[in-house]
Amino acid sequence: MYTTSKLKRFASLFAVIALMLFSSVAQAFEGDAKNGRKLFKQNCASCHKLDKKLVGPALTGVTDKYSEEWLLKWIRNNAELRASGDEDAIAIFEEYNGSVMSAFPALSDQDIFDILQYTIDGDPKPVVTTAGGGGGVAAAPAKDYSKEIVIGLGLLLFVMISLLARMKNTLRLVNGQDPVSILDEAGWFWGRLINNKGFVTVATIVVTIAFLNQLYWFMMGVGVEQNYQPEQPIAFSHALHAGENQIDCNYCHSSARHSKHSGIPSANVCMNCHMYVDGSEIKDDAGNLKYDGERSPEIAKIYAAIGWDADEREYIENYEQQPIKWVRIHNLPDLAYFNHSQHVNAGQLECQECHGPVETMEEMYQYSELTMGWCINCHRETEVQFEKNGYYQDFHEELTEKYHGEKITAEKIGGLECGKCHY
Amino acid sequence: MVWNVVSVTTNREVRMTENNKYWRGIEDQSNPELTEKLAQNEFSNEISSADFLGNDEVAESQTSRRDFLKFMGFSTAAATLAACEAPIVESIPYVVKPDSLTPGLPSYYATSMFDGMDYASILVKTREGRPIKVEPNTEAPFNGGTNARTQASVLSLYDGARLRNPKVGGEDASWGDALAAAKAVLTEKSVLLTSSVISPALKTAIVKLGLRHLSVDAVSASARLDVYEGFTGKRGLPTVDLDHATTVFAVGADFLGDWGGQNLMASYAERRKPGQGMLRHLQAEAGLSISGSNADVRVKARVSEYEAVLAHVYNKVAASAGLSKVSAPELREDIASSIDAAATELIKAGSGALVLNGLNTENAERLALAINLALGSKAFNTSKFVYTANGNDKAAAALVSDVAAGSVDTIVTLGVNPAYQMPSVDLSGVNVVAIADREDETAANAKVALPVSHYLESWSDFSAVDGHYAVGQPTISPLFDSKSAVEIVNALAGGSESAKALVEASAAANAGSTSWNALLHDGFASTEAAEVSMNGSMDASMIDVSGINVMKPQSGLEFYTYTKTGMGAGENANNPWTYELPDPITRLSWDNYITMSAADAVELGIEVAPESNGAMTGNTLNITVDGNTLENVPVWIQPGQTMGTLGLAVGFGRTAVGKVGNGIGVNANTLLPASAAVSTEVSASASEVEHGFASVQLAHTMMGRKIVNEISLPTFMNVSHEEWNEKPTFETHRGPLSAFEANLWDDHDHETSHMWNMSIDLNSCTGCGACVVACSLENNVPVVGKDEVRRHRDMHWLRIDRYYSSEMTAERAEEEGIGAIEKYAKMEVPSESPSVVFQPVMCQHCNHAPCETVCPVGATVHSREGLNHMAYNRCIGTRYCANNCPYKVRRFNWFNYKGNEKFADVNPSQDDYGRMVLNPDVTVRARGVIEKCSLCIQRIQLGKLEAKKDGRMLTDGEFTTACAQACGSNAIVFGDVNNPDSEVSHLKQQGRAYHLLEEVGTQPSVFYQTKVRNRA
Repeated sequence: MYTTSKLKRFASLFAVIALMLFSSVAQAFEGDAKNGRKLFKQNCASCHKLDKKLVGPALTGVTDKYSEEWLLKWIRNNAELRASGDEDAIAIFEEYNGSVMSAFPALSDQDIFDILQYTIDGDPKPVVTTAGGGGGVAAAPAKDYSKEIVIGLGLLLFVMISLLARMKNTLRLVNGQDPVSILDEAGWFWGRLINNKGFVTVATIVVTIAFLNQLYWFMMGVGVEQNYQPEQPIAFSHALHAGENQIDCNYCHSSARHSKHSGIPSANVCMNCHMYVDGSEIKDDAGNLKYDGERSPEIAKIYAAIGWDADEREYIENYEQQPIKWVRIHNLPDLAYFNHSQHVNAGQLECQECHGPVETMEEMYQYSELTMGWCINCHRETEVQFEKNGYYQDFHEELTEKYHGEKITAEKIGGLECGKCHY
Repeated sequence: MVWNVVSVTTNREVRMTENNKYWRGIEDQSNPELTEKLAQNEFSNEISSADFLGNDEVAESQTSRRDFLKFMGFSTAAATLAACEAPIVESIPYVVKPDSLTPGLPSYYATSMFDGMDYASILVKTREGRPIKVEPNTEAPFNGGTNARTQASVLSLYDGARLRNPKVGGEDASWGDALAAAKAVLTEKSVLLTSSVISPALKTAIVKLGLRHLSVDAVSASARLDVYEGFTGKRGLPTVDLDHATTVFAVGADFLGDWGGQNLMASYAERRKPGQGMLRHLQAEAGLSISGSNADVRVKARVSEYEAVLAHVYNKVAASAGLSKVSAPELREDIASSIDAAATELIKAGSGALVLNGLNTENAERLALAINLALGSKAFNTSKFVYTANGNDKAAAALVSDVAAGSVDTIVTLGVNPAYQMPSVDLSGVNVVAIADREDETAANAKVALPVSHYLESWSDFSAVDGHYAVGQPTISPLFDSKSAVEIVNALAGGSESAKALVEASAAANAGSTSWNALLHDGFASTEAAEVSMNGSMDASMIDVSGINVMKPQSGLEFYTYTKTGMGAGENANNPWTYELPDPITRLSWDNYITMSAADAVELGIEVAPESNGAMTGNTLNITVDGNTLENVPVWIQPGQTMGTLGLAVGFGRTAVGKVGNGIGVNANTLLPASAAVSTEVSASASEVEHGFASVQLAHTMMGRKIVNEISLPTFMNVSHEEWNEKPTFETHRGPLSAFEANLWDDHDHETSHMWNMSIDLNSCTGCGACVVACSLENNVPVVGKDEVRRHRDMHWLRIDRYYSSEMTAERAEEEGIGAIEKYAKMEVPSESPSVVFQPVMCQHCNHAPCETVCPVGATVHSREGLNHMAYNRCIGTRYCANNCPYKVRRFNWFNYKGNEKFADVNPSQDDYGRMVLNPDVTVRARGVIEKCSLCIQRIQLGKLEAKKDGRMLTDGEFTTACAQACGSNAIVFGDVNNPDSEVSHLKQQGRAYHLLEEVGTQPSVFYQTKVRNRA
């Protein structure tokens, strides 16, 4: 297994180098690969990949096989080209079982050149910094050295105390007295302390208060699962989806606008993209293909759940589908009623207000406390979204009058009443 | 396999899959053996208390009581903290989510239900694929309302006692094998015995099956049907159109309860609105029924007198119309003048008159028909028939003799339970193929048992009435390996079509121009009805009843059967809600019993009296009817019961219906078959055995107070409401003030935003109890069982108080110079012929609430929308609030009803299936907290949210409470009084509006409308 993948990697590297050499000779046009990449993602990516057959052929090296003129015609309107009896065009059409490629009459010549340039250049390589022994270090979080520092300081203290004790004993010896061990001295000191009623009283009070304080915070923390970050069945990254790819939260959690539940997307929603995106192009921090160009094992879990044959590119018939058992992170007690649509839709809150910077979370965790105090605090501070909401048409004026123009928070329209959340 | 749900392992939501595996936790699924083992070892060291206390080592132990308490305290605290670790909760989305479904939002399906007794057009609310509520389909022109039984029927879907797979000879079998075994015993001598069939698709399948088919009804109208079949050839009953009636005279017909298959609640309430032309309602009956309770004049007739009463009325009508009389026996002196007066009123009403007969004899129906025709009644519609009861007792009698003669080899049953309801059929000599929903008395001994789906899982269609066609669609995949009735019968006939295909084909033929999609969307189609051919020359023969032999009234005891509003004919006999719902009249739950007049009780030596804890206990009766004997039958002394008559409700006394219904009450059909109207061959004697009743109301009269304000129609019409609806005032230093002005507290701001109020019209409320069941469904109200109800620990948030009038009144006491003690003692005794009033009472949502001021932890507080909130998780169970509530509407959770094994048999939330009916938007309350009506705050919040999401103002009637929605007579109206256009603000301005116990100054948000009776 190891050797194969190593060979493969070597082979692909060789192929890329060869291609680059070759293409630099064959290329006859100037294009902007960066713009091309953008256009490619917009127009082509649903059916093509650079290095792999999808619905249509892999596009790396396409500029070597066909002339620039032919490609322009084909991309603009391949049906017309086929109708004109072009042999190459008909051959491709037949090779792909008559699946029709869309026409792109709106693309300018330069757009097409840009795309073609992109098929030559490929994806930009990540910049590899040589300093510090690897590219990943800069991104890695700073290591926490506090423990080591404390141990170091402790050692230093110990050394200094022993030095002092030895020095004192030396002085005693010099003065002709018997040396005293450090333990005896400490015992004497301790005896003085515990016989001092004032000290004992103060110490007792301090210890009691400290204990009660700790107990209070411990008890207050019971059931609070802030930062809860369970392991999920699929290593799904919100940072990748919501952050890097800028997918709207509501695309997957569509019921958040309509229902009490934000909803975890069903596998068929994942498949809207992952029918085409199989994760083989994911790169690690060093810029190498993370899965050696193979399908991502995480995405393969979706395929296994829904029954998608990624090689044949079709759903398996009579497949016994298996649901994905996500671990719920945000758990409210049964006695509290919470409705997402109330907050997202009527309250016009951003998801991040409660869920934190999800778009940066590689692995999802509970950002907020989700305690009643936390809820109430927000209800005290958050202004009601009266504007443009016809529901408040009459009340807004009444409330403004009642509260003499103060800002009207959720609290002022009854947002702190027990029965609003507990029923 | 498609995975259906979602979400959390909580009380609110239950996981469910379409392949019907239900597990309590993930461990349960992954390692069932371990779970089983752990469950068995849950209490591994069982030591009886005798062993424990008798153990010498324990006695000599050094552990003192103090130490023990210390250990206990520590371990309790430790266990509590250890339990604080949050469990891992899985959230399981669909693999492929259906487009029409959003988790957390309900989906509604329009469908219809028919269970052999009730037909209703309904909307079914489903959440995450589970039907959780039945709601009326208000757009349906026929039976678009729900009653208590329809409301409760959704829980029967989740009945764990249902038959889970086909059985052959008591052993589990596949459908293929079971059908083959059933077909093997079907010959030309076989019989198909069903309840009334109104499904055209099923009729087609029955014809295809080709067996001799006969129908019987648990509540029979067979003799009445014979009359109409004789005249028109159609086996149906005329419909009633109360819109055209001015005076209705019902003889033994509980037309607001179980009579005639037509839901008359809405039209009755509409015609009973006080004012000019208010419907006058006269009733003659033996036992006090819902209709009788609502009547303006109620005559206590014996069942054996019904025919004579009708004949007497007929003769008066005939005399005025110049028709020949019928020879009628003399009426008793007690009732003769009342019946005379009724006849006079009917003649005066002319075509506005309507006579309804409830006695299942041909003579009685012919007399009623003749009176209606002679008077030209416009309300009695003989050109539009209703078919929900079309059984034939004569055919059933023939079956009995054929079975005895051995000329029947196999009986296929569908929707009937002959072993229970037809004791005269001897099934031991025949093969039985039972198409049944459970292994009931018949199916348990059947050769083949074929599980039939609940109506919420079935495809079906209905022609309940002329001009109306409806389709029943499934709202959930079958929970068990069952099939729709039509599919089973078709399969027995050799067909292989699915139920959907069969119904779709039937719809194409019967739905007229309505498309299949429109049918499924609306739930019904109005079709061109073939006019029932009433041959013109027939009229004369129908009116001519001179030849009939009118039943001779008997003296001595007579026995009849009736149906209770919750139980009906027993379709939901394993459904705890039907038992827990107190009978509207007797206010008893979890029982059937003989109703008897006080005079008869004295004669037979029967007493019913409360024990020291308020639980009612009484003597029982050994009774023999037509030679059939039942021993130790409970007896309830019923005001308004005609002397000499004994009534017993059907549907009880089951032995194989399931853990809820088994052994509750007695089977009335063992005394009197459903086909018989009355028996006069009765002997009865008191038994030594005592019986405990679960009574929820001990005070039967209002003791002269204005609890239900009641006036007569002339007073309403002619006198200012300030006189008959006087508001209490208080003398203060500022002069006389009303209860709303004389205040100790500051008022809440109720001007801004909404102010929810509820109006309850006591004139419209018939006491039917649909609201009580609807409330239980909507709010996850626990069922507590008979023992707890006996201790008055019933949990209903909404009760319907029933009050009888008393012979003693304050005026009479003054006239006769009776002292206070004697006066109040006599006021407590209901009249022998009482007027009856019903009053639904739920939390009144006082704006100066006595409960709020006494709660030490602020668990019950006021909202600025006029609601009294109850925060269960704050409540520490002092019950101060319940003590301080003048309306006694707060209920305390004495037990952990969802976990305590005492309630395992009755409380739906203890059952893996029953739990699925819980409303996920409402908390299931824990032990030790108070609960009470919230005015369905979950609906209010959702309604407001929907408006906010759409960015529009709320419209009146957009949402309403579960009770108001279920109310067939529109007695309950809920809305925002800050909206001047809302119905409830108009109602609040009415002269009839008053607050319950207004003088205590609680300023309730719920108010009542004075009851007006149409009598002088």
